[in-house]
Amino acid sequence: MKLEDLRKIREKVKEEMRLREGKARVKIVIGMGTSGIAAGARETLKTFLEEIEKRNLKDVIITQTGERGLASKEPVVVIEETDKPKIIYGDVTPEVAKRIIVEHIINGIPVSEYVISTEK
Amino acid sequence: MPKRLDVIICGGTNCSSSHSIEIKEKIEKELEKRGLKGEINLVVSGCMGLCQLGPNMVVYPDEIHYIRLKEDDVSELVETHFLKGRVVKRLQWTPPNVEKFYKKQHKIITANCGKIDPENIEEYIAVGGYEALAKVLTEMTPEMVIDEVIKSGLIGRGGAGFPTGLKWKFTRESKGDEKYVVCNADEGDPGAFKDRAILEGDPHCVIEAMEIAGYVIGAQTGYIYVRAEYPLAIKRLTIALEQARKYGLLGKNIFGTDFNFDIELRMGAGAFVAGEETALISSIEGERGMPKQKPPYPAQKGVWGKPTLINNVETLANIRHIILNGGATYGAMGTENSKGTKLFCLTGKVKNTGLIEIPFGLTIGEIVFDIGDGIPNDKKFKAIQMGGPSGGYITCEYLNTPIDYKEIEKLGAIIGSAGMIVLDENNCMVDMAKFFVDFTLTESCGQCTPCRVGLIRMKEILNRITKGYGKLEDLDELERLAKTIKLTSLCALGGTAPNPVLTGLKYFKDEFIEHIVDKKCRAGVCASLFYAPCVNACPSEVDVSRYLAYMGDGKLKEAYLVHMENNPFPSVCARVCPAFCEGPCERGKFDEPIAIREVKRLFSDWANEVNYQFSPPENPKNEKVAIIGSGPAGLSCAFYLTRLGYKPTVFESLPFPGGMMMYGIPDYRLPKDTLKKEIDRIINSGVELVLNNEIKSINELRNKGFDAVFVAVGAHESIKMGVLGEDLEGIMGGVEFLKEITTNKNFDVKGKRVVVVGGGSTAMDAARVALRLGAKDVKVVYRRSKDEMPAQKIEVTEAEEEGIEFLFLTNPTEFIGEKKVEKIKCIRMEFKGFDKGGRRRPVPVEGSEFEIDADLVLLCLGQKPKVSKFSDELEINKDGTIKVDPKTLKTSLDYVFAGGDAVLGPSTVIESVAQGRKAAVEIDKYFGYEGEFNFSLREVVDTHYDEEKYLKPISRKTPKVVEIEERIKSFIEVNKGLTLEEAIEEARRCLKCDKGKEVYKKNIKELEKTLNKVI
Repeated sequence: MKLEDLRKIREKVKEEMRLREGKARVKIVIGMGTSGIAAGARETLKTFLEEIEKRNLKDVIITQTGERGLASKEPVVVIEETDKPKIIYGDVTPEVAKRIIVEHIINGIPVSEYVISTEK
Repeated sequence: MPKRLDVIICGGTNCSSSHSIEIKEKIEKELEKRGLKGEINLVVSGCMGLCQLGPNMVVYPDEIHYIRLKEDDVSELVETHFLKGRVVKRLQWTPPNVEKFYKKQHKIITANCGKIDPENIEEYIAVGGYEALAKVLTEMTPEMVIDEVIKSGLIGRGGAGFPTGLKWKFTRESKGDEKYVVCNADEGDPGAFKDRAILEGDPHCVIEAMEIAGYVIGAQTGYIYVRAEYPLAIKRLTIALEQARKYGLLGKNIFGTDFNFDIELRMGAGAFVAGEETALISSIEGERGMPKQKPPYPAQKGVWGKPTLINNVETLANIRHIILNGGATYGAMGTENSKGTKLFCLTGKVKNTGLIEIPFGLTIGEIVFDIGDGIPNDKKFKAIQMGGPSGGYITCEYLNTPIDYKEIEKLGAIIGSAGMIVLDENNCMVDMAKFFVDFTLTESCGQCTPCRVGLIRMKEILNRITKGYGKLEDLDELERLAKTIKLTSLCALGGTAPNPVLTGLKYFKDEFIEHIVDKKCRAGVCASLFYAPCVNACPSEVDVSRYLAYMGDGKLKEAYLVHMENNPFPSVCARVCPAFCEGPCERGKFDEPIAIREVKRLFSDWANEVNYQFSPPENPKNEKVAIIGSGPAGLSCAFYLTRLGYKPTVFESLPFPGGMMMYGIPDYRLPKDTLKKEIDRIINSGVELVLNNEIKSINELRNKGFDAVFVAVGAHESIKMGVLGEDLEGIMGGVEFLKEITTNKNFDVKGKRVVVVGGGSTAMDAARVALRLGAKDVKVVYRRSKDEMPAQKIEVTEAEEEGIEFLFLTNPTEFIGEKKVEKIKCIRMEFKGFDKGGRRRPVPVEGSEFEIDADLVLLCLGQKPKVSKFSDELEINKDGTIKVDPKTLKTSLDYVFAGGDAVLGPSTVIESVAQGRKAAVEIDKYFGYEGEFNFSLREVVDTHYDEEKYLKPISRKTPKVVEIEERIKSFIEVNKGLTLEEAIEEARRCLKCDKGKEVYKKNIKELEKTLNKVI
């Protein structure tokens, strides 16, 4: 083992353990209540996970929450960014999820047609 | 795919013994079943610290902490949380003071424990593992490393406290073709498990440090000497060593340098003495683990006769932080004498137990009351035992002592191996001494006679004392033996073994003497000295266990008569006693203590209903006894004097008998009719009562022909605050107020804004009475917080329910008004440190003054006796109480005895009863009689119900109370009491501690069995 090897392992595994730090620039919160799951929230969640891996996004974490009461708009997804208002999306299909990643999380412009509301 | 959840399950010894590993396996299966495996990362970590709440689990990124998990919880957890993202609230750890537990800790060496997977070297590398080794091997000379370690001020954490840098330097300088590094992981103190936690949670940090040490002293081989009782630590170490070799971090040419190092594990058989370094070396060499003479020290002649560096696990765990951050940064933490952080194993009678890491300089009080969150079940803190069998006690006077090697040593304890056992009022210090002596004597290697034989002699003596056969000379013998053993033993085990006895005798000698002289164990531990813990805890030793047995069969009369043997006020005590008996009730260890006070109420009310009476002595003794005061002490003395054959005379200055019971306790707690019945019964048993007759001189009584006098005048004078404006109109003492409203029906409180100052029972009574008399509003101002209030919990709760407002951490500084009080200037208080009695000390917050309106102020800061009129005749203490010999209650005058509040200061009814009864016995002895009652000898009471039926969880019965709306309008008794049926059921929950060990053990076993079934 050389010093460089040590550093390589360190960077790689550190990345894998990122969740344990509990902090990230963006937190994607997916509503996973019964109606969310029925509306396909599991697929949405998987899409988010795949996109994050594909695009190597290091400062994004995904968590879930329960029903928000908006059954007709499920899957509902909340994007929380440090120092910015929370943005709540409705009808987030895997396609919308991909757009949120590219347009909102990477380029900073919310996908306005799917925004239900914003919260301070 | 990246993971969205990291689920960390604690796999430390404590959590895995409560099945955390099985839970982890079940989660794994459940995840697979639901196709979630790829999204969730499951990690088993080392000890998280909160051992008594285990099995622990933390879910990241939201850091949700679950506790007390069971296998049955798994599917709900996976479904609700891992799949649907909702926290399972019922399993979540959310104590109100969660912040407190973490806030004062500072995790450096245990930062990885509970966070990384100890069986995965890559996770260690990810948090900077082996960087320190890399830095040392590629950038530093051995001298530079030694320099940093010296600069850090690190002191060995094994117990002896030698500076680590110097030890490294000496071993480096020692000449030898071969040298060794040894990690001492033979942690053996009872209550210590910090080394285990490191080895289980972060084994690589120890390996890395050993390599650095090897580089510094010039060694190629290391040994980790770990006890075989630590199987999990051994397993994790074995895996860690294998992985380190596989990654080239152990072995030849590490990091491409010419440094070679490898480590062997050596398992010890768990002998305590093998933790002593010379004994440990013998054990590594395959010899019997026995200490050797030092010098030569291991640095010169250690393993196989070669220079050897021996460091404790925790010491080594510090090394990487010193290397990475620099010795100076490390040395900036802590106190002047003690640098860095320290692990402690907080156990015993404290709410949060577990492994904690704190910076040096934090006080003992902060550890016990902030991190530990205080003593469970409202018990009183007694002491903390530090340093295990080699250590000593720290008592409540020293709670402000900072954690620092020198400061702790000054008190006779040591930081040692970092065991911290918190003791409460139910720990017996003689028993503790016996426990530690028993431990060291079993662990003594037997080489030195004083240790081998002397400890056995000490145990024999301690045994004798706990059985009630001790002699006062035994204490001198204990000290002599202790000193000899200390001076003449070869190793530290022997040299420190007598410490628990010596510091026990230093701080708690009165408890040893109590065992020997009074045959009493106040903690209720030494079972040979009492029938049952409830009887032992009662100041008047009322035989609770016997009357509960009678009540279990509904025998009211028998139960009542048992009570009357020791306390003639069952109705009063059923209503106002703090019930010392319920505190140590064994049943409380399983579900809840028996509601003894409520059971008592049934038979005492029965006696009042049937008007049960005792006949006066037929042929009274000739001696005449006068009693001054008709409170609980005076009347109890009178009653028991009649049972000893006298016809005493009681003089009372006020128009009604009863003292504080009459004038100080309002009707809603103790109805006057009930009290009067009990007083009448005592008078009818052969007592002459003279009311409205104040005795001003004792000699006057002597001249009237009395042969003995008992002074029980109580404590009726309110203590003043000593602040500006206290003499304004509208300000009065709490007891004066209560007395006034008892005698003067016209006293007007209607529409007034009332402020009560104080937090005791008198304050609660004054406030609740004012409310019932129509006050506009009632505020209680108290300088401490709710937890410290001396009033009974139930009184505070009821007062709150009734709408009384509390201003905690507030103290009046001035009363303002022209002639009458109008406003009170108050200041906010905050807690800083602890007072000598072990309570948090309130200090004013500068500039926080504010004013509140008041028309009537009631000062309830305690009372003192009015005994100055007797000061020519009797010796008076500085605090204004009468001086007596505590054994006989005799005053400075031969024929005069005194008791109750006049001697004790404000106390409870039952404490005064106890003194009254004792005085009766002593007066009888003074006249040359036996001082013994006619009661039959104690026999265990047989019961006739199915006892086994009650050996399952049954909750304690609580009586009904009067609705709030109704009670605040009148003086109706709040507590309605239990029904007879309920009381009988309640009495049957008794575990029969008094039937002797065998029966008790059987009952406990049965109860445990059923309890486990339910859980």
